[in-house]
This record gives sequence, structure tokens and C-alpha cells, in this order.
Amino acid sequence: MTTTRWTGPHPEPNPTRPTPSTVARIVGWFAPVLPDRRLAYLRTACYLFVVLDIHTLVRDPIALSHDTTLYRPLLLAEMFRLPAPSAPLVWTLYVVLVVGSLIAAANRLPRAAGFVVAAAFTWWTAIGFSYGKVDHDHTAFVIALWTLPTAGVIAGRWRASTASAQSGWVLKCIQIAVIATYFLSATTKIRNGGGPGHQWEFATWANSFILVWAIVRRPHGLGQFLLPYPELLRGMQWFAFLAELTSVVVLWLRGRALLVAAVFWMGFHAFTVTILYIHFAPTLVCWLAFAPLERCSPWLRRVRGRRQQRVGGRASDPTSG
Amino acid sequence: MKQPSIGRITRWSLTWRLAVALAGIALLLTGSLRGSDQAWPFAPMSQYAFAPPPDDTIIITRVEGELADGQRIELALRTGVSGISRAEVEAHTDDIIADPALLQGVVAGWTARHPDHPQLRQVWLVQETTTLVGGRRDVTEFVPRASWVVPE
Repeated sequence: MTTTRWTGPHPEPNPTRPTPSTVARIVGWFAPVLPDRRLAYLRTACYLFVVLDIHTLVRDPIALSHDTTLYRPLLLAEMFRLPAPSAPLVWTLYVVLVVGSLIAAANRLPRAAGFVVAAAFTWWTAIGFSYGKVDHDHTAFVIALWTLPTAGVIAGRWRASTASAQSGWVLKCIQIAVIATYFLSATTKIRNGGGPGHQWEFATWANSFILVWAIVRRPHGLGQFLLPYPELLRGMQWFAFLAELTSVVVLWLRGRALLVAAVFWMGFHAFTVTILYIHFAPTLVCWLAFAPLERCSPWLRRVRGRRQQRVGGRASDPTSG
Repeated sequence: MKQPSIGRITRWSLTWRLAVALAGIALLLTGSLRGSDQAWPFAPMSQYAFAPPPDDTIIITRVEGELADGQRIELALRTGVSGISRAEVEAHTDDIIADPALLQGVVAGWTARHPDHPQLRQVWLVQETTTLVGGRRDVTEFVPRASWVVPE
């Protein structure tokens, strides 16, 4: 097998480098060279979130496994002939998830622990979604778990000084999955339109009374104050719909423009929390794939250095104590 | 800042990554544009993606029960209280109306979490029904849709 040095986009473009071909540009877009340290931090965040998730978000598989009368397996379970949930099965998945996530969060055994966690979490979540309710806040997160292990061992972990297309590909896949969550939400609204016989209608969802419907069903905080103003709520629907539809642009933003977009979407989610208590936390964690997490290391070093300086200063200060 | 050294990657490694990324995008698009919830994790992003009209009827499903001491209570449809969430019961409303014995799952879940309470004698599936008029909330009523006597 030929080993070639990566010739795609580089963090600091070299003016003497020849212009890459279209194929190289496409490959370079899907697998940009990015710091491995960023991936090491993202792994830690994602795997720790798995532990949080199974205790706070998709926490019902253990409870649901006691009675399977309402269990309706997803296509995934049928394809892989997964057995119906039972107490021994979900408890095994639980232990595997906790142990595997802690190992993977430390960037240890990234491939073995990572793929085991990905499979176990997909199964666990599929069980939680096999009783009639499927949430779409986990799509990007599941894709993140399946791609994170592919970059393999990162030498130096959070202190790695290397960059690679392997890490860049993982980060790009997660970024695409995050944005797909928004964009495909908009296309689904167009697809569903006004229901059977009225599908593929562009404006029907935005002109509907979905937010009134949602607030009546989930009376929460600010939502209750907005309920008497259906026209204002429709305006908000248009705003959200257009934002989702144009979200694809985020994949090409850089620097300050990307920061503004990220802040906008964080604000969007904060707003849905205040009116409906819907948070999309798993997708929010995946937003970290856009963040320059590699800067955490110098920042942590500075904080640690300052603390040591203070401690050292106090110890050598004869007037202290 | 020091320039990071760039790791090597083989042509094969790049090729399969590109293929997987394109296949993933194709799966997401196909699932979203043609699939159903069954296709998760490639299911359509269908939460709140429908369009209620201004005169819609909004239904909130509840389960109520009568205890052995005659007290009538609500079995809150949350995993921590009844072992199952409201959305999951709502997804099976028609099944439960056709076969009210399916409420045994809720009864078992609630009983396991409330061992100190008197036993449940009977349970009802009740729909809290709110009508909209011109997109504004109008009247709300409670309609029992199914009942099941818990076997001794």
C-alpha cells in the first residue's frame, strides 16, 4: 500500500504549493487537516456526555424492559435481529456504556472502547425509541460516536502537537451531522406539508399553529405568556424554518462568522428551552466539533501556571500566614 | 504558534472516508425524505414537523386510576413515576382502546414505584381535549377512552 503525504488544505496555505485539483479540493473539504488535540478533547466531552445521557435523557430502557407489551422494534433491530429488551440485556448495556465511556473519555483504547460504546449506545437508544417515540436530537450524537474511534490512537492525547486528515474527517462528519439535523428538519416540514394529500408544501408548516399546539401540550415558562399571541408565534415559526433551511451555509463559515452562527444556534436552543423546555443537548455537544478546542491546552497550562505561581508566592512570602 | 506536524494518510484511507461520508449523507437524505421513524438513526426529523390548523383539537393523554381505598389518582406518564412516558402511551392509543389490557404495563410500572400505596383496582385512559378557535385556546374537556379492571 502506498503511503502518501497529505497534500490537501493546510492550516497555513503555502503560496508555493500548486493549486489542488477539484477532486483533491473535495477530498480536502471532507477530510481537512485539523489538530488531533481537538479530537482528543471532543472525545472526552462526547464520552462523558454518554454517561450523562443514559442517566438523564434516554434513561428509560431499564424501566421499559420490565414490560415489553408496547415494544415495537425499529428497522435497525430487525435488520440485526436484536432480541427484545430484557433486564439482563439492558443492565449489560448499561455497565458496558459506563465502563467503555470512561475508558474512551480518557482517550485510552480509542478504537476498541469507542466502537463498543458506539454499538452499545445505538442499541440502548434504539430500545428507548422502540416504544412509540423517536427523538431526533440524538442523530448527530450517534454519528459522532461511530466516527470518533476511526482516528485511532492520538499520541500525547490532549497535549498532542500533531494534525491529521483522520481527525479532520471525524470533525467534518460531526459538523455535517449537526447541520443536517437543522436542514433536514426544514425539509421534513416541507415534506409533511399539511398532512396526507397536502405533502411537499413549502409554507404550510410555517403558517400553521404548531407552536400554539406545542405550548398547550408542554405549558412551560415563557411559552404560556406567548400563547395568547398566535400571530407572533407564527412569525417565530417562519424565522426558525428559514434559519433551518439556510443552516447549510454554516459548513462553509470560518472565524468570526462561524462564531456568530454558533452563538445564534445556541440562542435558538436557549429560546426553545424557555418556551417549550426542549433542549437538544446531544446536538449541542456535537457543536463542539466546530470549536477550536485545541486552545484548551494552552489555556489550562496558563491557569495551572498562575495557580502554582500564587501557591509558590504565598509559600515564599514571609509576611503570609 | 508552532506549526503542528501533519500525520500521514494513505489513499485507501482517504477513499473509504470519502465513501463513508457520501454514503452517510445519502442515508440521511433518503431516510429523511422517504423514510419513517422506523428508520432511526436515519429517520426523518419529524418532531413538531406537522401543521395543525387554526381549529385543531389538541389531545393530551392521561392515565387515571382508582385505588383499593376508593381514591382516584392520576398515574403521571413519566418514566420515573409510571415506568413509561406520555408520548409512548400516546403512540399506542388506538391499540389500548382496542385492547385496554395493554394498560397493564402502566399499572405494573406505577405499582413497582409506589409499593406503599393501596393497590390499583381500575385504570382509565383519559384524553384531555382542547379545541382551538382561530388559533386561540378555547374549551378543554376530559374524555375517557378506555378502562381496564386490574385482575386481583
